[in-house]
Amino acid sequence: MILVPITYTGGVYRHDEIIDYIEDLGGYIVQKHEMAQEMVLQAFIPKDDIERFTAFARPLAGEVAESPLVGCEIAVVIPSLEIHHLPHSACDIAEYLRTVGAKTNMVGLARGFGKRISQLNDEERDVINEHDLAIYVLGNFETCIEEKFNGLRRGVNVPIILTGAPPVDALRRITDPPAAGYVGNLGRFMHRTRTEADIGRLDAVVEEVARVLNVARDEIAHDPLSVSPARLKEVIEDGVPEIHQVYSPTPITVQLTGLRIKLPFDRYHDVIKSLPVEEDVTIGDTAWISPSRMRDYILVQIKPFSETHIVV
Amino acid sequence: MLDAFEVECFEEVGRDFYRQITETVLSDHNLTAVVSKLRIFIDPRIPIFVAVGTIRDAGASIRVSDIGSIQMQGDETVISIRDETYLAQFLTRLYEIFGHDHVDQPDRFTIIISKAEIPQNFEKIEIVNRADTVLRDLIYAMTVIAPEGFKVRREYYGKRQFYYAASENTLPEHVVEDVVSAQFTLIGEVMR
Repeated sequence: MILVPITYTGGVYRHDEIIDYIEDLGGYIVQKHEMAQEMVLQAFIPKDDIERFTAFARPLAGEVAESPLVGCEIAVVIPSLEIHHLPHSACDIAEYLRTVGAKTNMVGLARGFGKRISQLNDEERDVINEHDLAIYVLGNFETCIEEKFNGLRRGVNVPIILTGAPPVDALRRITDPPAAGYVGNLGRFMHRTRTEADIGRLDAVVEEVARVLNVARDEIAHDPLSVSPARLKEVIEDGVPEIHQVYSPTPITVQLTGLRIKLPFDRYHDVIKSLPVEEDVTIGDTAWISPSRMRDYILVQIKPFSETHIVV
Repeated sequence: MLDAFEVECFEEVGRDFYRQITETVLSDHNLTAVVSKLRIFIDPRIPIFVAVGTIRDAGASIRVSDIGSIQMQGDETVISIRDETYLAQFLTRLYEIFGHDHVDQPDRFTIIISKAEIPQNFEKIEIVNRADTVLRDLIYAMTVIAPEGFKVRREYYGKRQFYYAASENTLPEHVVEDVVSAQFTLIGEVMR
């Protein structure tokens, strides 16, 4: 069964029926936003059932759209979050990616600014590596990007999309080894993105992110995961009731190959490790559970089939 | 609108972006009408960011008569406030001249000075020099425009001219001075 990421937008009225229907189809809810009378659901549903689900949602005036960015966590990396330089274009990028379903985190580097003096410390590197993808929002000068980019990517092993003011060709020319993706014409600017041209630049980022994520998904398909992250999320939600008391917008963040659980590692990692996914198979059998570098959260990285010889 | 505005950089894309940033920042800080000439020179290879320019007459000094009208009522002098913009500085000045005991503000638009001799030409006393604050605002705007990480900076503002130079390296004084004076020459000014 191939699950596809979708976004459902509709009213609060009878939304529980929508949730039940997604679960009946064998899908999973990734995130639920309730804003006044509106409801936005990000979910995975079986590919063959999209039309059926759309037909079911129509009488409730709900809209269903495929959102390739649902179920991934993206780091938007910027050299600094200095007050003088706000509003930063990265704010708009992070926000725009959220509107199409991605979970984005801003990573403002402590000493990422400048050319010669820019640095990436071990904590920043590890935090970036806990994401599915990193978008580096660099500045306006080719000369600077060329010199600083290699320093800022040192030790980062997730796919990187490089953005900056120079055109894509120039960005491609100055990066060695190449990055996973490029978006040009998007450097440092001081205005909010309101015009059509500005929105077009943000759409280019979404397009590039979707492309790079599809490449990553294809790679994962060669050696599939032992269990789907969305399924593991449901197992944890059923097995650890304390997760419902976490006030974070996403108490469990779904990633391409894992989860970030926003509970203290010391107190909960053993409980989570021993939770059964199916008979005789626990979460510990299917995933590595480690402390996250982000606060005291728990990071779950699902093992591939080649490692466990289990698919549940 | 500015009489002369130019951004120079060997990288065309970066230059156009910085031109746009400058326009946005000057308009956000309400400085477009104040700046007469502005020239920005950026060389990311050195690296250096230099902004030189001149301002228009920022307007006369703000005097007591610009803030309110003065009436003598027996022993007391009553000042009716017309423009509150510089009221805080005005009150500070009054406390300096007459002392807290003699200055009272019974409501938002009234100040009463009692049992104190009012100096001659009181109406002409300068409260704020707008040129000072305008140039300071302008230097702040340059800090906003300058590239991130250019922490080593030198700034100057005189009566009419200003310059702002920034880099991430400590550059020799003569290098900065040469670049700055060359930029002033290009806008038809002599650096003072």
